Amino acid sequence: MTLFTEPLMNIRGLGKRYAQRRPFSRGRAAVCAFDDVNLAIRRCSTVAVVGESGAGKSSLARCLALLDQPSRGEIYWEGQIISGLPKKELFPLRRQIQLIFQDPSSSLNPRFTAAQIIAEPLRIHREGTPAQRYERAITLMKQVGLSPDAAQKRPSEFSGGQRQRLAIARALALEPKLLILDEALSSLDVANREMILDLLVDLQATRALTYLHISHDLQLVSQFAGEVAVMHQGKIIEQQSARALFACPMHSYTQELIEEIPAIEAILEERSA
Amino acid sequence: MRYLIRRLVHAILLLVAISIFSFALIQIAPGDFFDAMRLNPQVSAQTVDGIRSQYGLDRSFPVRYERWMRSLLGGQLGFSLAYNSPVSPLLRVRARNTLLLTGSATSLAWLLALPIGIWTAARKGKLPDRLVGLATSTLLTIPDILLFLVLLLLAVRTGWFPAGGMISSGGEEAGTWSKAKDVALHLFLPALGLAIVTLPVLLRHIRSAMIEVLDSQFLRAARGHGISRRRLLWRYALPVAANPLISLFGFSIAALLSASVLVEVILSWPGLGPLLVESILARDVYVVVGVVTLSSVFLVAGNLVADLLLYATDPRIRVE
Amino acid sequence: MTHQRKLWGAVVLLAGFHAVVLFAGFFAPYDYATQDRDSPFASPARIHFVDQRGNFHPRPFVYAAASQPAPMQFFVSGEPYKIAGLFASRIHLFGVAKPGRIYLLGTDAYGRDQLSRFLYGGQISLLAGLLAAALSVSLGIVVGAISGFYGGWIDEFLMRGGELFLALPWLYLLFAVRAALPLHIADWQVFLLLVVVIGAIGWARPARLIRGVVLSAKERSFVLVARGFGASDIYLLRRHVLPQTYGIVLTQMALLIPQYVLAEVTLTFLGLGVSEPMPSWGSLLSSLQQYYVLSSYWWMFLPAILLIPIFLAYYSAADALQERWKSVSL
Repeated sequence: MTLFTEPLMNIRGLGKRYAQRRPFSRGRAAVCAFDDVNLAIRRCSTVAVVGESGAGKSSLARCLALLDQPSRGEIYWEGQIISGLPKKELFPLRRQIQLIFQDPSSSLNPRFTAAQIIAEPLRIHREGTPAQRYERAITLMKQVGLSPDAAQKRPSEFSGGQRQRLAIARALALEPKLLILDEALSSLDVANREMILDLLVDLQATRALTYLHISHDLQLVSQFAGEVAVMHQGKIIEQQSARALFACPMHSYTQELIEEIPAIEAILEERSA
Repeated sequence: MRYLIRRLVHAILLLVAISIFSFALIQIAPGDFFDAMRLNPQVSAQTVDGIRSQYGLDRSFPVRYERWMRSLLGGQLGFSLAYNSPVSPLLRVRARNTLLLTGSATSLAWLLALPIGIWTAARKGKLPDRLVGLATSTLLTIPDILLFLVLLLLAVRTGWFPAGGMISSGGEEAGTWSKAKDVALHLFLPALGLAIVTLPVLLRHIRSAMIEVLDSQFLRAARGHGISRRRLLWRYALPVAANPLISLFGFSIAALLSASVLVEVILSWPGLGPLLVESILARDVYVVVGVVTLSSVFLVAGNLVADLLLYATDPRIRVE
Repeated sequence: MTHQRKLWGAVVLLAGFHAVVLFAGFFAPYDYATQDRDSPFASPARIHFVDQRGNFHPRPFVYAAASQPAPMQFFVSGEPYKIAGLFASRIHLFGVAKPGRIYLLGTDAYGRDQLSRFLYGGQISLLAGLLAAALSVSLGIVVGAISGFYGGWIDEFLMRGGELFLALPWLYLLFAVRAALPLHIADWQVFLLLVVVIGAIGWARPARLIRGVVLSAKERSFVLVARGFGASDIYLLRRHVLPQTYGIVLTQMALLIPQYVLAEVTLTFLGLGVSEPMPSWGSLLSSLQQYYVLSSYWWMFLPAILLIPIFLAYYSAADALQERWKSVSL
């Protein structure tokens, strides 16, 4: 049924190289973050990219969030090419793709109040008057489960879980279609993780959001991802629906990852049920 | 080796920049210099014309610069209206005096600051350190000008030291030894003043450099081996602290030169300082530029010496 | 906690002193140029409450030259003056009725009241220091922000230029530039020139420090996030990066102001700054170069001695600020 629908984001042959900038080295050895990545993200789906640290996942996230230009390949958004577009044309697109970082403490300016943080994207895109932006911020706070009384508080006065909610509220301000979560749950404890996951599921239903999760934790991802892509040394080695991946992984590396999961039998049982 | 070449190139570039800057200053200065010269009956018209052609004053900017550089490198620094003589010999004597003063002041300051700095670093936080810290902070808030004036007052009131000049009148005829003593007596107050002014900052930096070394891992390891305290200090800590200290020396030259101007004027030491002030007031442009260029050359040379010392003492720089 | 107290103490002291200088006309009994040829080098008047006959008077008084007790009056009408050059007034905090004179800090060779000259002098020397420091730091912010934010060849170029400025002996530089400029121009022009010259030479150190902060701040995640929203460079600098530099800016100001005040004082002392009868603190001290003044009239030292508590206050503030921002490093 979804075969004839254009994917929301389509990535073809994406690669990113970083030039070595050490002044004393001979020659220009380039570091390849990732290469030849192909990924199709359909609307309202939850896709996960899994791999160990250093596999190039964060670089990929940045390229997809339009923070970096890829060295090769193309990114398609709703059928149009967007990689390589000039800054001005990218500006309206930025409303639709948002990135949530791993560490909420550093992604929130400690000098801003919660309301200012959430309203910032509105400010940058010049939406509404300051009073209207404030109202929006309060509404968003309520939607992510934060009390509006905390609107004047600074990030340091919130707990880790609450900070991540703040970051999510901010990301939602411009009503994006795609949310990229770069290890967004990794720094949270289990209880908070559950709550945030519930929130994300809720939001996906009410706002028709698409999620791309970047994680090193296959177990975590197994709980909610519809499709999983496994990244190893900068390349995507396997990409399937989650069910299929766990049932019969095609690559030996994937098999290794699966076996590392402690409660794997329980998960497999659950999956096959 | 590469390090030395890099520093040398840097020094040369700095000197070129200074020369352009000084030259530009001459051009900006109002042209009444040569008109005044022409009006002066003591200076012959030929001298004026000679200088005008030497510096190509009717030609374009690059030509003038090139002519000026050429005479500069040939040791010719222009002509002084006020002293009615070429600038170079004038500068030579004054420069020598300033070097004597700053040299003695620096030696004095370092001779005091080094042991005290090491001593307080070794006793960080304890009473002697805190007392010295207090004294240092107090000294820092006393403006140089006040200090120098007080020293002058001391000389005038007590007569223990001469209040100015370099040699007592009639002292030129005396033998070398008594001449040296005479000069030393005159030198004492200005050198002391200059040393006191540079001492606090120096002391602070030496102390913090030593503390950083003393707190470092390798020193603690050496202490764990049971090496005696004195040996630790002199054979282990000091050589490592030498790097930041030598750099400190390089940086302090600029501040020292600036402070020397004031002390030379107030205590009438016949160095570059009073000459500079007089020539600005007299609109004696070539002297001004000569003094600025010369002192900048001293500065660059001093820093180059510091770089050389660094190269010689710090093996890490040789490896780079 | 003590550096909070130190900071507030210093700020209160400085604010008080600057307020007094701003309202110099009110606090000074005389104008800075008023001469009294009958009382050259008068020693500081002492305030008495008990007269020669042992009677106590609640109103303090001084002995003028005529050995007649002259009672001090408060909020008297005296010579006209202008506050900040705008509002005219004649009211002075204290004074004595003519022919009495009250010279609390003595007089100079022309019989000019040293206290009045000191207070008016503050308007020149302190203001010069403040403006020049503001100029240096502003230049430093612009250069440091551009250098740190954009990097590359512009960074190299600016920092090399800064090295040049740092390497040269600043006083010589000051003199050289001063020499190139005309000697005899209007007073306010000399003042402005001094401020610009002193301030423009000292941009290098603040620039380097601010560049450092900008370099680390621009890599912070929240800056990246804002960039992800499509924020322009100016926005990023203005809202996220430069606010991180406030600590350094304040500390640099506290350190530079006393240095620049001293620079103006030194230049004027040597005859290269503002000229008579402008009472820059440098002019007040220049008569001390004469031996007879130096050894006989100790009160002429007072302007220099009074600099000490001012410098102390500024340096304490700088110390406290450095402590505070070190512990709040993000």
